[in-house]
Amino acid sequence: MIPAAAPPPAAISAALTDTTVQVSSDFRGARIILYGAVFDASARPSDVVVVVRGPEQPIRLTRKHRVAGLWLNSRPVVFQGAPGFYRAASSRPLEEIATFGTLRRLGAGIDHLAINAPEEQRTETRYGVRDVVVSRLGSDYFVWRRAVVRLKQRAGLYNEDDRGVRFVDRGLFRAEIALPTGAPTGVYRADILLFQDGRAVSSRTRTLTVEKVGIERALYVWAHVRPWSYGLASMAFAMLAGWAASAAFRRD
Amino acid sequence: MDIYLPIAEVAVNAPLIVALGALVGFISGMFGIGGGFLMTPLLVFFGVPAPVAVASMAHHVAGSSVSSVMAYSRRRAVDFRMGGVLAAGGIVGAFSGVELFRVLRLLGQAELVVSLSYLLFLSVIGGLMLAESVGAILRRRRGESPPPRRDRRPVWLYGLPLKMRFPRSRLYISVIPPLALGVFVGVLSAIMGVGGGFILVPAMVYVLRMPAGMVVGTSLMQIIITTALTGVLQAGRNQTVDIVLATLLLVGGVLGAQFGARASSRFRAEELRAILAFIVLLVGLRMGLGLFLTPEEPFVLMSGMAG
Repeated sequence: MIPAAAPPPAAISAALTDTTVQVSSDFRGARIILYGAVFDASARPSDVVVVVRGPEQPIRLTRKHRVAGLWLNSRPVVFQGAPGFYRAASSRPLEEIATFGTLRRLGAGIDHLAINAPEEQRTETRYGVRDVVVSRLGSDYFVWRRAVVRLKQRAGLYNEDDRGVRFVDRGLFRAEIALPTGAPTGVYRADILLFQDGRAVSSRTRTLTVEKVGIERALYVWAHVRPWSYGLASMAFAMLAGWAASAAFRRD
Repeated sequence: MDIYLPIAEVAVNAPLIVALGALVGFISGMFGIGGGFLMTPLLVFFGVPAPVAVASMAHHVAGSSVSSVMAYSRRRAVDFRMGGVLAAGGIVGAFSGVELFRVLRLLGQAELVVSLSYLLFLSVIGGLMLAESVGAILRRRRGESPPPRRDRRPVWLYGLPLKMRFPRSRLYISVIPPLALGVFVGVLSAIMGVGGGFILVPAMVYVLRMPAGMVVGTSLMQIIITTALTGVLQAGRNQTVDIVLATLLLVGGVLGAQFGARASSRFRAEELRAILAFIVLLVGLRMGLGLFLTPEEPFVLMSGMAG
């Protein structure tokens, strides 16, 4: 009997239709297509997972609670490690593709995002304000964490699509990444993972840059790098515009 | 046609924002007020983050007030000395207000203070104005003569030290009340994103007893100086001024203000005050309502605070 030669390892490859997204005055979100191929001579059953993460942003969240009939904000809680944008697209529901532990390790799926849960009741001095709670543990923590995800999902910034990766031909797949208007600027990272028998056997990483261009970028940079000169110039502009309007409408 | 606001980082409908500016400009031209108290809540309602709305309003109010003050200054209806004293107080108020707003935002309580300020000041002022103007309308309907104007100036205004002459307003009073008024309005302009005319004008009429002809022009002078400073400070300290937004509002605002000023001549003064009082009261109650209604979503992301 001839021993079956070990089949060559499966590999994955992918590319984005656009590697930069330009945010200008008419920006209303963008749709980027990711194309890829699975190379596997033995045609074992393959699953593809595409995970896109935007730049990390600390999140400040408050919870409204009722005090003497009024709805007041609690102390703000800061969450670390939350990407500004997150999308997990897969060819099948994630829990059918791999185990909980594997998905958790890879951060695949909104439930597996590593939004920080460090020591309980750690308070720090942040932005010059004392006693800001950075994280909490216990059952309350999960309510807060779910709220982060829920609010981000509502803004179209977090989503999960278990039919998001479609095989268009044998070994050839396609996925869409929809960026909403509120997508943060910065470098996005797309991890394309090939799963076989519940294990990630091959992966590729592609980056995508979302940047402001033109006058929007100039104004944004000016306002953040030289805020005082921006403030003076914009105020001068506003007052000049007011003066010009009054001169134009002068009736005497 | 949507336009992306570079600082607010949201897309808004440009014609809608210009129309909003025109509507508020119309109201402000009609009543001789800045209209910030109406504009800021509307902007927040249309999805502009509150810190950006408050800060950009300072630019809009300054710009549109310049447009109106020119007309008053040509008519010699501005008391520059009184305006200067008010503005000196306003400068102190603006500095403290911007810092206060910054700390409140970090504590997560900015929203509460803004809502409470709106509820308190707008409903009190709106209520008083409504009662006064409805009374005047009813008296006129019944053919009664208006009650004699009590021209006795409050004693405490004369008991205070540091007296100063204000020749144009024909006043000789202590500088402390106008300075304090200026500080108060300066703080409000930073916190509520308003010019403060709705407080300044009644206070100048009923407390300082300035001649009616001087009040609007002088309050506009104080508003310009205070909001100009607030706007620059907001940009410098909080980086929340969106000049694209302010410009869109200004375009609509100056156009609306011209038509508003013309429309105002068709109404009687007390009817105008009654309409304005009604609007003020409505906005105050609507802003305050949010404090009492059970929110659909108990968690709130605090925008504009990343990094």
